[in-house]
Amino acid sequence: MSPAAGFFLLFVLLAGSGALLSALLPDRRVPTGLAWTASLASGVLLLASGAALESGTGFAFPLLRLPVLGTLGFGIDRLSALFLLVTALVFLPASMYSAGYLARYDGRYSLRLYGVLYHLLLLATALTLAGTDLVTFLLDWRLMSVFCMLLVGFENRKQENVRAGYLLLAMTEAGVLAATLGVLFIGGFGASGLDFAALRAAAPHLSQAAAWTVFLLTFFGFSVKAGLLPGSSWLPKAHPVAPAPVSAVLSGCVLNLGIYGIVRVNLDLLPVRYVGEGLVVLIVGSLTALIGILYATIDPDMKRMLAHSSIENMGLVTVGLGAGMVFLASHLPVLAAMGFVVGFYHMANHSLYKSLLFLGAGGVDLRTGTRDMNRMGGLLRVMPYTGLFFLAGALSIAALPPFNGFVSEWLTLQTLLQSAQFGATGVKVVFALCAAALALTAALAVTCFVKAFGMSFLGMARSRPAEQAKELPRSMLWPMGLLAALCLALGLAPTYVIPALDTIVAPLAHGSITEELVPPFFTVGPSGDARYGAGFMKDFHAIGAQVGRGLLPGRGLVVLHPGGEKNPVVFAMSTAYTAVVLVLLLAGLALAVRWATQGRTVRRGLVWDGGVRHLFPDMTYSATGFSNPVRVVFQAIFRPTTQEDTRESVHGHYRTALTRSQREPFVMDRLFLLPLTRLVRGAARLIARPHHSGRVNLYTATVLVTLLVVLIVNWVRP
Amino acid sequence: MSKWIIQGLRTGVKSTRYPRRPEEAAGVTPGLPAAESRWPSPSGAEGAALSCPVGALETSGTRLTADPRRCIHCLRCASGPNPVPWEGGYEWARRTGPADSPLFDRGFDHSLHIRVVDAGACDACLSEIKQLNKPYYNMHRLGLFLTPTPRHADVLLVAGPMTQAMRMPLLKAYEAMPTPRRVMAVGTCALTGCLFGPSFASAGGVGSVLPVDVEVPGCPPPPLAILHGLLLLSSRVKKSDEARETLGEAAP
Repeated sequence: MSPAAGFFLLFVLLAGSGALLSALLPDRRVPTGLAWTASLASGVLLLASGAALESGTGFAFPLLRLPVLGTLGFGIDRLSALFLLVTALVFLPASMYSAGYLARYDGRYSLRLYGVLYHLLLLATALTLAGTDLVTFLLDWRLMSVFCMLLVGFENRKQENVRAGYLLLAMTEAGVLAATLGVLFIGGFGASGLDFAALRAAAPHLSQAAAWTVFLLTFFGFSVKAGLLPGSSWLPKAHPVAPAPVSAVLSGCVLNLGIYGIVRVNLDLLPVRYVGEGLVVLIVGSLTALIGILYATIDPDMKRMLAHSSIENMGLVTVGLGAGMVFLASHLPVLAAMGFVVGFYHMANHSLYKSLLFLGAGGVDLRTGTRDMNRMGGLLRVMPYTGLFFLAGALSIAALPPFNGFVSEWLTLQTLLQSAQFGATGVKVVFALCAAALALTAALAVTCFVKAFGMSFLGMARSRPAEQAKELPRSMLWPMGLLAALCLALGLAPTYVIPALDTIVAPLAHGSITEELVPPFFTVGPSGDARYGAGFMKDFHAIGAQVGRGLLPGRGLVVLHPGGEKNPVVFAMSTAYTAVVLVLLLAGLALAVRWATQGRTVRRGLVWDGGVRHLFPDMTYSATGFSNPVRVVFQAIFRPTTQEDTRESVHGHYRTALTRSQREPFVMDRLFLLPLTRLVRGAARLIARPHHSGRVNLYTATVLVTLLVVLIVNWVRP
Repeated sequence: MSKWIIQGLRTGVKSTRYPRRPEEAAGVTPGLPAAESRWPSPSGAEGAALSCPVGALETSGTRLTADPRRCIHCLRCASGPNPVPWEGGYEWARRTGPADSPLFDRGFDHSLHIRVVDAGACDACLSEIKQLNKPYYNMHRLGLFLTPTPRHADVLLVAGPMTQAMRMPLLKAYEAMPTPRRVMAVGTCALTGCLFGPSFASAGGVGSVLPVDVEVPGCPPPPLAILHGLLLLSSRVKKSDEARETLGEAAP
């Protein structure tokens, strides 16, 4: 048995026994117990996926062999190992964090139930990713969806939460039903079973129409789970109401399952053949990113803002994948590999920083009792470490170097710009428009997270709980610190991450990107090699690209895409060197300022407040106020609904109170979900009206007639 | 749009040429009583002094001196059988403190940014300050700008008596200004408190709270007087013009 298989079995055992232990422990012991067992289990899962990635072989456990369904069982290949690694990286800190967070539910909700569900969710997520056939995959997917729904509705005395849970379940189930149909469609073309290997073998026989049907069904089906347009309505409702560790896990791991489904079917089982398919993915991805960040920017609810931003990031991941698909269909394997690498890189980054931010938001929620950023402010003074880690997450998600979000967003944009390399004008135009949408998204993301950090952690406290909040305990800070460190590490070391992702992507894209993105500055001397000549090496040696050679392992610290003779460098950057220069610059600036102001008296005055007698917190900038320009500029998309309530005195002559509230319902509710529900209801009413009379005789007759029809049909057909 | 350009060109420059050339248009100044005048008899001088409601006129024997820092241009002394001599002019601003004070040092001899604070004025002075921003006086041509925040201001322009209500905001604005900074008091009220004097609601002149660098008398001072004050502050008034500083030297 390979080490990966051993670790995976151990993980299953640990997660199962963790669930059992949570069921047996008394309620007040559950948080600590859960923190230990779940983080141990995810640690072992980390080892399992790490071993699978390292060895590159993975494993398979065929459990059952059935006549029609084929071989059922579990196994890990490179692709699922990547997703499992990300899952483990998110579950580990989220589980550690749970110990401190869950105390707030003690005595109000059953923590035992939470413990059981949490372990089962971990188990089901991992098993979904490890399923090697459609049946186990779907079975585990269902279980995972149910556990998600139950955990979202964990605070079951709040109707909002329970409804959000049901919405999540209904929408993602509808999506996965469509996806199942799509995959079964492949099976219809002479597959010997429903295991992935058999489906993969059957895929080349699909006709064009069939391939398109499969693509559309699976892409839009799985895209519901990934939170892409048009089926993303459930996400901003479900993610904010879940307990913080669950929110982190939902955004960090469970959304990835949608991406996993898309990738598994459309890149592995039935690789995309037509440019049109890639363009659909690309357009859906960029629209999702733009809509997601627009709503994130204007939302004053911290966790809902993060949920909207998850939609945005899933859109960015999809853009990377979509670009890769277009390149794949145009037979440009290297660029396809670049697109996929970028997509997976961004997915991993999003998992890390979004779970970090959700954990931070949960901590703030725990201490202030509110998720409304209008009622926060000044939290950095009372919760310095939480603020610091939240800032790291915000910098990452706002794509600022040297954090990880920068690397993947920059590479996504660069990948889109590579469309110049091939002919069709229409495709180029789509790429250009998507790149423009992405640029706008990136700018809005900065606005959004300046608001998120500035309005909640800086300024004056706008409510008493925010003023009197206390720092989180260490058990909750450590996991956040771990995630922040990972964000920084993934940002500083793209040259180590890209080759690792390349090994996963290479079989999907039939091309390798390592040589194209990470020049061997550390391994090749000044004479250069066949790809990078001596002149090239010399030029880059002169600007310091070989600093650290001999000290550090790997190929180098510079991400660089070489071009042809005329234009030897298409794009290049190095976050590691940038970080060093940034630190030096900042330190130099601090020293220069100190030197320049030496021997001068510094007068410290109050902040200029317009000369008011007392600056009340209500007078300062709020989250809603800060984002209002965006709200006004994009009014055509938001279509705000305003509600005015006037209260009048007994006689009805005097208005005593006037409240005006403005809401921006999610655009996909308006354009997709509500019309769809209305349509389905209308259709159901039309169908039901003739025979839903309530008479039992009629129903019995219907059953009888149906039975007769079936019997006759079977009798007629041999 | 072309119509406006042609009309503008046809109209030409209507702004005052001050300080390059003295302004001679009618009505640019209400005038002030002559700083010093001789009377045939002490009783005549006393009679003239009594006609002043704000006590701007003082006598010593047959000599009658007028204090421009208190005058409100009511013209009561200029009417009647024995009028006090009255003279025009508008270069009334003067610096306070010792003449050799390092007021006009480097950093104040170019463009100035001005923050206006109303310490309790009746709006007459503010109305005159507003005129500076309009085409006729057009202070921008001299590099003088109003700024909404004291953080960018070089000069704090204060109008009105120092009322208790505005004491703290004024001090806050002064504190918020970067050094070096200058304070200019505009109008009789800001100089002495005048009619509102030190009272339960007012501390008198602005000088009781802040160190005033340049004073501009008048009630309200005409825009040109305020402009003179600003130019004086930025050392852009020629020495010969400063002769006018001591008012009424050429009086009979």
